[in-house]
Amino acid sequence: MNAPVIFLESVVFLMLAALAAFVLCQKKDVSDKALSFLLCAIAAGAMAALCLTWNQQFLFETPAPFLLGVFPLTFRLDGLSRLFLMLLSLILFSTGLFSPGYLKHLKEKISGGQYWLSFLLFSLSMFGVVLSADAITFIVMWEVMSLSSVALVASDHTHHLVQKSALIYLGATRIASGLLCGGFLWMHSLCGSWNFADWNFASPQAIFPALLILLGFCIKAGVWPFHIWLPYAHPAAPATVSALMSGFMIKIPIYGLIRILVQGGLYAPEITNFAFVLGAISAFWGVLFALVQNDLKRLLAYSSIENIGLILLALAISLKAKAANLPVVADIAMTAALFHCFNHGLVKSLLFLSVGAVDCQAHSRDLHKLGGLAKKMPWTMACFFLGSFSICSIPPLNGFASKWLIYQSLFKSTLMYGSYLERGISLATICLLSAVGALAIATFVKAMGVGFLGMSRSHSAEHAEEASIGMKASQSLLVVLCVGLGVFASSALKIISQLAVMSPDLTSGTAIDFPLPIPMLTGLLITTCLAIYVIFLQSSKVKIFKTWDCGFGPLSAKTQASSDSFAQPLARIFRPFLRYETNSTIKGRDRRHFPEEIAVEVKIVSILEQRIYLPSLAMISYLAKGMAKLQAGSIHLYLLYVCSTLVILLLLGTVL
Amino acid sequence: MTDANIHLLKICSDWILFVLCIVLVPPLCLGLIRKTKARLQNRVGPPLFQPLLDLLKLCKKGETISSTMSGTFRLSTVVVLATMLVLAWMTPWLSFKPWSPNADLFLIVYLFALARVFTLLGALDSGSAFGAFGASREVTLGLLVEPALLLGLVALGLFSGSSDLRLIFAYSHFQYLGATAVPGIWLLVGISILLSSLVELSRMPVDDPTTHLELTMVHEAMILEASGRNLAFIEFAHALRMSILFGLAAQCFVHAAAAVWCMSALTEGLLSIGGICVIAISVGVLESLSVKLQWRKVPEFVAYVVSMSLLAAFVAAGTGVARL
Repeated sequence: MNAPVIFLESVVFLMLAALAAFVLCQKKDVSDKALSFLLCAIAAGAMAALCLTWNQQFLFETPAPFLLGVFPLTFRLDGLSRLFLMLLSLILFSTGLFSPGYLKHLKEKISGGQYWLSFLLFSLSMFGVVLSADAITFIVMWEVMSLSSVALVASDHTHHLVQKSALIYLGATRIASGLLCGGFLWMHSLCGSWNFADWNFASPQAIFPALLILLGFCIKAGVWPFHIWLPYAHPAAPATVSALMSGFMIKIPIYGLIRILVQGGLYAPEITNFAFVLGAISAFWGVLFALVQNDLKRLLAYSSIENIGLILLALAISLKAKAANLPVVADIAMTAALFHCFNHGLVKSLLFLSVGAVDCQAHSRDLHKLGGLAKKMPWTMACFFLGSFSICSIPPLNGFASKWLIYQSLFKSTLMYGSYLERGISLATICLLSAVGALAIATFVKAMGVGFLGMSRSHSAEHAEEASIGMKASQSLLVVLCVGLGVFASSALKIISQLAVMSPDLTSGTAIDFPLPIPMLTGLLITTCLAIYVIFLQSSKVKIFKTWDCGFGPLSAKTQASSDSFAQPLARIFRPFLRYETNSTIKGRDRRHFPEEIAVEVKIVSILEQRIYLPSLAMISYLAKGMAKLQAGSIHLYLLYVCSTLVILLLLGTVL
Repeated sequence: MTDANIHLLKICSDWILFVLCIVLVPPLCLGLIRKTKARLQNRVGPPLFQPLLDLLKLCKKGETISSTMSGTFRLSTVVVLATMLVLAWMTPWLSFKPWSPNADLFLIVYLFALARVFTLLGALDSGSAFGAFGASREVTLGLLVEPALLLGLVALGLFSGSSDLRLIFAYSHFQYLGATAVPGIWLLVGISILLSSLVELSRMPVDDPTTHLELTMVHEAMILEASGRNLAFIEFAHALRMSILFGLAAQCFVHAAAAVWCMSALTEGLLSIGGICVIAISVGVLESLSVKLQWRKVPEFVAYVVSMSLLAAFVAAGTGVARL
């Protein structure tokens, strides 16, 4: 079978599925199981279509009646879009498995019809964005994706916080779309075509549209300093939506950057250096703020900012190296960016789904109310732990493989660049990345240790039960993928570079060397662990007793370190960035010995929000109020405006 | 005897010697530090291999674990010990070593991180505040010291042109002795690895592992709940980590010497063990003479280590031009 036929068939299949879904969604009492099954079927179908047409690439234009105005919608499937679509299908499949169990506890809060309608629209539009080959199709699909995701964030819209988050997110998407439209229009006037393949960013005039496009994508990806919507939107949305948003949606801007700017031949040093700095700052800023979060989903959202920063950094390294004529470094960095996109997509969806399972069973995502889940939800715990190891880039998991490639590209650029400045920058970046890695370890050890180990800090956490079988299955699927991609990273890299070669101007096609003996090491580690356990520990006599309590009687859950106290020493070191305020009040008559009331409040102030965003918003609304005076509602005034405008225009006409 | 037989014999003797070193050097390090401190305090001190005897005794004892704990605790000990053994096999901390696979420096640093993560999880599993605060401090030290260690190794990698530690520590740098900075870089990196290992192992002047528990805040607090064989394993893993890091530092110093004097394999082998012993003794001297830093002053101490590594890395990046 040839590729266009399969593509058409899958489009028809998707349309039918969507139609069936829309019909199903209209019903009052939506069946989550049926729709989840449909979602899985869509994902599996897409995956099958992608695999069947493995070596082919093609361009597809919609025939006559399905035009957008006078333009046909054009789609392109090549190596790059195939890679991203595979990721999307995998994430969709696992969210489909996860949904029926998870949505049960949201039954009263959200309306099923609205949720599923937006969810399906969201998923299908993401397929559309990745497949689109021209700017018009891209922006149409992009808008459907943005707006449907806003609707999903607002699913539980009775909460005040959710309303606020949805509005912030909506504002961010509007600004991003505006910038993108501006960039696209500018490029159209420069190149005379809407087709991405015709755009050429090598000319010096293309710097400004490139900057607009970069900014638009950065806002949507949540790159510093445009990240503030992300920690609002992710916690507000249901876990399945956050998994899809963090796992895939914020990778679409990266895809866009590669598709439009990288393949458009961008090499302007201003833009690449700008992207480099933004990436480096996001990586550090994201993980620093992730460290001090108490809401697990907010923590994961900040960690997404970190990882998007890493991906952007790798892209920038690749572009810089290409401009400096170092194809080896450029190829390693580009492959690293693609691989890290894929890995982070899988891992972040896994983590969001695990937190969703915790939220569903223990009714909280607040680290102050969790703990002790190790014995209640061991399966979920194992999945969350493995995901965390991967995101901390611990070998042998997939996070390590892509992080290693980023390190390697920096190492190679330190060796190969001619200028001392570039070498110094690469070295400093290696230093920064290792600090970011260590902070990520701190963050996720806190999430794992405080969230799952120790004693339960609340009643609901104490009575949590293991998640349903579908939820376990979906997490396990993602864990298997993460471990597999990590252990067999060299094969995965071969596939990725094969796909990258199928797309024009992405890499120069040098083979990526991955010399680490990860499969052997994994085998060795597991065997050694088993040997130590079986030979020594299994036979030792074990007595179970209460935790060492200094003779003061049994410990209460409150004596454990809280999430704040765990992060405190690190937060202290970064005081210039983290405005970390602790207020403690101790009250009572004899407050030294018998305090009656003890309260400690820890507050983290986000500097960007407080110092820059809120003041500029206030200024905009102040100016807007000033402008409002112009619209006084009096017809006389309006006539005066018309008259004076006319006079000014006439004057201008005579003068010019 | 044929050549093949001699070759086989050599491999066997390498392995036997290496395994002996893995078993004996870590307790010897601890013993040397204790002995030096005792001598400086005018005591006789325990015999040199007392730590080994202690570990053997611990292995015979029963084990008590907390009722709060999940399986994570015992798993963590096993994983930490296994990782340390694998690291001991891969890292070139001795000059004589049997065959090992590609020991990429980034992989090595992140394998250390794997061991650290599991130690931390084990500490948090008991639900006691001691463990958690130890973990919190360990994670802080880890953040401070990881860039220093990584940059030091990267500096070495830069001037050997590879990130594989086997090639870096291969005594093969005679061919580019033209760069006079070579012994200097080895020395700088050696000092930075040594100082960062003091932080990494939470020894003086960052933390005093031999004081009263309330004052000992990092490693000893984390393993407070461990007992019996579990404790023996985790102590041994910690001592092994110490000898690997001291060994790496000693190797740097030996390489600095080898850049100036040509020496035979036997001398190098003897020097690599002797170097570890000398470092252990000097750490003992340092611990007797210095006082523990206030916790807030630790970042300043680490700043010196990081700048040492940075200096080495910049020099290495600069001299690389002449070579390439």
